[in-house]
Amino acid sequence: MAGGRPALTPLVWGYIALVLAFLYVPLIPPILFSFETGGGAGALRWYAQIWRNPILTSSMLTTLKIGIAVALAATVLGLASAMAIRELRAPRLVLLLMLLPVFIPGVSMGLATAFFFRQLGLAPSLLTIAIVQVLWALPFATLIVLTAMSSFDPVYLEAAYLSGANRRRAFLDVELPLIWPGISGAATFSLILSFNETVRTAIVQGPYNTVQTYIWSTYKQIGLSPTLYALMSLLILLTLTLVAASLLAGARRAASLRAE
Amino acid sequence: MRGAALRWAFLALPIAVVAVFLLAPLGLMVWMSFWERAGLLVRPAFTLAAYYDFFQGARLSVLERSLWVSLEATAISLLIAYPIAYFLAFKARPSATRAVLLLFTVPFLINYIIRTFAWTYLLGRTGPVNGALTALGITQGPVDWLLYSDVSVLVGLITSYMPFMIFPLWMSLAGIDRRLLQASWILGAPPAATFWKITLPLSLPGVFAAVVFGFVGCFGESAVPIIMGGVGYQLMGNTITSTLDVLNFPLAAAMSSIVVAAMLALLGLWYLAFDIRAFLGKIVRWRA
Repeated sequence: MAGGRPALTPLVWGYIALVLAFLYVPLIPPILFSFETGGGAGALRWYAQIWRNPILTSSMLTTLKIGIAVALAATVLGLASAMAIRELRAPRLVLLLMLLPVFIPGVSMGLATAFFFRQLGLAPSLLTIAIVQVLWALPFATLIVLTAMSSFDPVYLEAAYLSGANRRRAFLDVELPLIWPGISGAATFSLILSFNETVRTAIVQGPYNTVQTYIWSTYKQIGLSPTLYALMSLLILLTLTLVAASLLAGARRAASLRAE
Repeated sequence: MRGAALRWAFLALPIAVVAVFLLAPLGLMVWMSFWERAGLLVRPAFTLAAYYDFFQGARLSVLERSLWVSLEATAISLLIAYPIAYFLAFKARPSATRAVLLLFTVPFLINYIIRTFAWTYLLGRTGPVNGALTALGITQGPVDWLLYSDVSVLVGLITSYMPFMIFPLWMSLAGIDRRLLQASWILGAPPAATFWKITLPLSLPGVFAAVVFGFVGCFGESAVPIIMGGVGYQLMGNTITSTLDVLNFPLAAAMSSIVVAAMLALLGLWYLAFDIRAFLGKIVRWRA
C-alpha cells in the first residue's frame, strides 16, 4: 500500500504547504505593525511603551501567575484522569467527561461558570480565572499524558511489585520517570493554552486583566494600536519559544536514551 | 488502608473537578434560562419568557445564520483537512507525519483572536490580497466583499477551528487495521471502492469527532463575528455576549443553553454510535 502514485505525492505536499501558509501568514502582520515605521533607534518604541503602562505590567504578572497555576493544576489533574481512565471501571465515560470542555464553546463555558461563582458568592479573582482555564486545559493534558502512558509497558510495574515495591513506590520510581516527557509536555501545553485564552477568561475576569483580555477589551473600546500589536508579537514569540523549548527537551532526552 | 483511600481520592479528583466546575455550572445555566428578570436582577422561577423572547424576536434569524455559517465552515474545514489526514496516515513517512502534525499544532496554540486580527489587514481594502488582485488585473480595484462579510467570517472560523480538526481525523485513519485494506486489494477491489467501502466508514468516528468540534466551536463562536463580520453581524456567540452586556441574564442563558444542547445531542450521538475505544485505540490501553 505504500507509496501510491508517485506523481501525486509532490502535488499533495504542495497542497499541505498551501494550507499551512494560510495558517502561518496571519502571524506576520502583527509583528510588522509592532515596529515603528522609519526604523532606526526608535523602532522598538511600542515595546518600550508596554513597560511604562502600569495596567499592562500588572496584567503581565497576572498572566504569569495564572499560567503557572494552570500548568501545575491541569497537569496533576491530567495525570490523575489518565490513571482513572486506565484503572476505573468505566473508562469510556471518564474519558468523555474529561474531553467535554473541548466541545463546549468558550462563551457558554465562561457564562455558566460566571453564573455559578455569582450564585456561590465567589467574587471574581485569580482563582476563578484559573479554575476556568484549568478546565479548558484539562482535556489536552489528559490526552498528552494518556499518549505517554500508552508507550509504557505495565510489565515494569509488575516487576516492581515482585521486587517488593508498593503501589506508590512503583509509580514514583518506575512509571513516573518513564512517562515524564508526557507530564512535562502536558504542563507546557497547559501553560501555552493559558497564555492564549481570551473568551472564557473575559467573562469571569472581574476587575483583573490578563494580557489577552487587555488586548481584547482595548480592541473593543478603541481599536487596534501599535502597542497591542507589540503585545501580540510578544505572545506569538513566547508561544513559539515554549514550543521550541519543549521540542528541544524531547530531542535531548531521545538522544540521551540512545546513548545509554 | 489510608494509602488506598488517598489513591481513590486522587483518581476521583479530576472527575469531581469537572462535575463541580463544569457540569454543575452548565446545569445552573440551563435552570437560570427559566428564571425571571426583576429589574437588574434575576429571580428563580419557571417561565419560558426568555425562550419566547428568543424564538419570537429578530434573534431567530441569528440562529438560522449561525447554523448556516457553522455548517459551511465545518464542511469546508472537513474537505480541507480530510485529504491531509488521509495522506499523513497512509502515505507519508512517520517522521514527516510528526513534523506536519506539529506544524498544525502551533497555529492552534496561538490565540485565534490574534490570528483573526491579522486577517482584517490581509483582507482589507488596502491589504495584500486586494493589492495582488488589482495588480494581476483580476479585479479593477479593491473589492469590498472580502472583509466584513460572510466570506471573511468563514475565513476566520475555518482558520480558527480547522487546525485542530486534523487530529481526530488522523487518529481514526491511522488506527485502521491495514490488513483490511490489503484484503480488499487482494479480493480485487479498485482503490476507489476500498476507500468508499472500507477506509471512509472506518474513519467515521474521527470525522464525527472533528465535525462536532468544528460545528459547535463555530456555532458558539463570539470573537470571530465581532472582528470579521463588521458592525451588526450577529452569530449566536456574540449575540450571547452582547445580551450579557445589557444584563439580560435569562436570555443569555437561554441562548447558551440552545448551543450547549446542540453540542450534547451531537456528542451523545457520537458516544452511542461509535466506540471511542476504536477511535483512541492508539493512545489508550483499554482494560480487557
